[in-house]
Amino acid sequence: MAERADLLQGTLDLLILKALVLGPLHGWGISKRLRQLSSEVLDVGQGSLYPALYRLEDKGWISAHWGESPEGRRAKFYTLTPSGRKQFAAERSEWKLFSSAVNHVLRAT
Amino acid sequence: MIARLVRRLRALFRSDTVDRELSAEIELHLELEAEELMRTEGLSPEAARRRARIAFGSVTRYREEQRDARGVRWIEESLADLKYAVRVLLRSPGYTIPAVLVLGLGIGATTAIFSVVTTTFGRLPYPDADRLIRIYEQNSPRNRWTTSVADFQAVASQARTLRVVGTIVVRSVPVAAGAEPQTMTVVPVTSGFMRALGIRPESGRLIEPADDSVGAAPVVVVSDGFARRWLGGPAAVGKNVMLDGRAHTVVGVLPRGLNRLAGFRADIWPVLQLKPPTRRGPFGMWMFGRLADGATLDDCRRELADISIRLQGVWSDFPDRDTRLTPYTLRSWIVGDGARTIGVFGVAVILVLLIAVANVASLTLVRTLRRWRELALRSALGASRARLVRLVTIECTALAVTGAALGIALGAAGLRVLLAIGPFIPRLDEARLDARAAAFAVGVAVLAAIVVASYPLVLLVRRDPGASLSGGTRTVGDGQHAQSVRGAFVVGEFALALPLLAVAGLLLNSFLRLQSVDPGFALEPVATARISLPVARYGNDTVLAEFWTRMLPALGNLGGATLVSLGDALPPDPRQNFNQNNFDLIDHPVGEGRPQSVSSWITVTRGYFGTLGVPLLEGRLFTPADTGTSPPVVVVSRAWARHYFSGEDAVGRQMIEGGCVTCPRTTIVGVVGDVRYDGLALPGEAVYAPMEQGAWRRTLFLFVRTHGTGTAALPAIRAALLAVDAGVSIDQPQAMREVVEGSIDQPRHLATLLLGFAVAALALAAVGIFGLLSYIVASRRREIGVRMALGADARAVVGMIVGRGLWLAGLGAVIGLAVAVVTTRWLAASLFQVSPTDPVTLGLVTLALLVVALVACWLPARRAATTDPVGALRTET
Repeated sequence: MAERADLLQGTLDLLILKALVLGPLHGWGISKRLRQLSSEVLDVGQGSLYPALYRLEDKGWISAHWGESPEGRRAKFYTLTPSGRKQFAAERSEWKLFSSAVNHVLRAT
Repeated sequence: MIARLVRRLRALFRSDTVDRELSAEIELHLELEAEELMRTEGLSPEAARRRARIAFGSVTRYREEQRDARGVRWIEESLADLKYAVRVLLRSPGYTIPAVLVLGLGIGATTAIFSVVTTTFGRLPYPDADRLIRIYEQNSPRNRWTTSVADFQAVASQARTLRVVGTIVVRSVPVAAGAEPQTMTVVPVTSGFMRALGIRPESGRLIEPADDSVGAAPVVVVSDGFARRWLGGPAAVGKNVMLDGRAHTVVGVLPRGLNRLAGFRADIWPVLQLKPPTRRGPFGMWMFGRLADGATLDDCRRELADISIRLQGVWSDFPDRDTRLTPYTLRSWIVGDGARTIGVFGVAVILVLLIAVANVASLTLVRTLRRWRELALRSALGASRARLVRLVTIECTALAVTGAALGIALGAAGLRVLLAIGPFIPRLDEARLDARAAAFAVGVAVLAAIVVASYPLVLLVRRDPGASLSGGTRTVGDGQHAQSVRGAFVVGEFALALPLLAVAGLLLNSFLRLQSVDPGFALEPVATARISLPVARYGNDTVLAEFWTRMLPALGNLGGATLVSLGDALPPDPRQNFNQNNFDLIDHPVGEGRPQSVSSWITVTRGYFGTLGVPLLEGRLFTPADTGTSPPVVVVSRAWARHYFSGEDAVGRQMIEGGCVTCPRTTIVGVVGDVRYDGLALPGEAVYAPMEQGAWRRTLFLFVRTHGTGTAALPAIRAALLAVDAGVSIDQPQAMREVVEGSIDQPRHLATLLLGFAVAALALAAVGIFGLLSYIVASRRREIGVRMALGADARAVVGMIVGRGLWLAGLGAVIGLAVAVVTTRWLAASLFQVSPTDPVTLGLVTLALLVVALVACWLPARRAATTDPVGALRTET
């Protein structure tokens, strides 16, 4: 198994939103997609995935509905809401600013 | 936002469904993860499942976190705590029942008085009621009285600061609406009165300006209750009511439930038609108005002062140059002296409530100490301190809310009791325990919960219960601190109870003194009734004189009656519903432009003094020679004579009566004993004028002296009068003893209610000290056992315990006494012949308090003394 990195506080929401930008997913699907997208580096602790999903739902950024999974099972699918999409854009630009600043600091000698 | 709320509510109330959905979601996750592992790493299904589970972590913890994320965890936990708290409270009835009862009583009493206060001082049932005023005549800060026709007509035609002004008089006249006439309070009003108040009729119309003029058709507005009882309800308008033997047409019905206007309670409101005045007086009319838009009370006061000065130029018969028409708010007139009574009650209930809360706080403190081990165990098992704090808070809140529920029920009952007793508090009959009062009860309960929970919470924050478990001590606070806190509670309870006892004692002492005052007339064989003759047939003095000259001798032989007479006042009457008159003594004139003296002016028939047993002290009584054509004479009371002719002989002196300089002078012909007309508390200065000199009135009090007792002679007299004229109204039959007792109802009610509060306070304080000493005895059983094993006798043990208790009670009493001495001063106006710091009363109540404390201390002390030393040493308690 590849080396895995801990998630920085607050980045989980951003990642979940990113995973959902591409389309509705159920919980396990989100966790799998994040693993794939990060080339197995980021492993979302599942114990924190579901609370995060509920939190995002509570904030109204994602919505949930029960449906049929590709594996043919009843699953709860999460979809990005319009306000979630806005939130994603905002968080992404914030993250870019933040990471470039950190990189800048680290490059300095 | 709403979607979010719905989701949260769903999470809270449908937590089963939400949890089931969550389980399904986790289950799916685990299955998919296991399948993935089987596929990618070739694990067996069991191993894959295990790995998936391990990767997922604790499902239970996750669920808790999940609930946290849903934002309902604290509610769910609080509900669990509440369930637990209720279970725990039910399991310890020895704590819960007294605590809830004591809180309920305290909250109930406070809530009932709160309802009264909010009603009395609350909004008056008129639109824009703050702009309503009552106008008095006033010549010094303390002396104000009613107004006259001349005053009213001047104000009505000249005042610009008033939008509308109206005047009323109060009469007792025979009223007949189909049935036998009965004397009722009737309030004739001018149209301005009802228009100023701004009320709307339930049906028909109110009195209107066109009705005011002399000669207009007599009309009347009646209360809704009267219309339904006598006039067929909605059909009342257009019907006739006989007022004073004269038909009045009902033109309107007042709104339902409104039978009191501007503080006057009556069912019948006929029009008052005023003729132009011939002089400034007589006064005796109540004037009310509504301020014009933009005008203030001060504007009005200035304008009325100008009008007063102009009035003095017009009328010379009232020479007092200091008198001004003066406006006061309607509210101040309605609340009046009631504020003091309410203040006494309010302070009393707050003291009782404080003592109750102190008691419950003390009980809760003991309980917390006893439960320390349980709290320690919970702490050891992982309950956070925050969670323990919440547990204690919720327990106290549950207790207080139950107390509030009981308090609301008791408050409603207490209010009914108060209404039944009927102490004089303005608008008391309007008081209801409404939603606001219920909210107040809950608010008080919350405050009580805070006080009750505070010490246990401080304890929880200061000391870690977890630490005490390892330390091996079973309880905390056997030590000095908790006990000194409880000791302080007990001292406080006694310090609060003593002023209350002092007030109750002073009022009781005052009442007993009042009760023993000689009213100035014979009580037992005299009965009285009120008689009204209708104006239609008895409109002038000649007819009245004829009727009574014929009837009085005839009535004197009926039903065991020996003496019968008439008077226009019923002594003692603290509300002073009788005439007053101004006079100027020829030998001691007040001087030009100065206010003349005013005195109670009682008109009586010749036999009056004999019937009531009022002794003649000097001069003579009225004789058959005193008639309408002979020179006017009066008889004065001894107190009057001493006031105006101190050290001189009053008999033979002359005066000018009622400011009438052209009338013949009035001569004082005799001095009689003092009858307490203004109430038993006042000296009884009075002037008596003979009715036979032409002052016959249509509503009079009949006085009957009989061989027997009570009112036995009255039915025969009533029958005889009705046989002569069926239109005569006779009511209010009572023995003079009842009249005297009724006149001191108000101080009696005040003393009784305060005594009730004081006894409750003392009982609560006694329970407090009893509880503390019982606890001390129980927790020091071993020590007491050791002392007794070493030879201390029972008396020493009792002395030790009782001494401790009495020291606390005594300290409380000293503090309370100091408070009482300072605060009872403002009670002075309610006391009769008792100083607010009367040493005998204060001494007696202190003694009573200490005796009760002694008994409350002695009971636990005796138990300590009967401790079996061996048993106490052998058992671990």
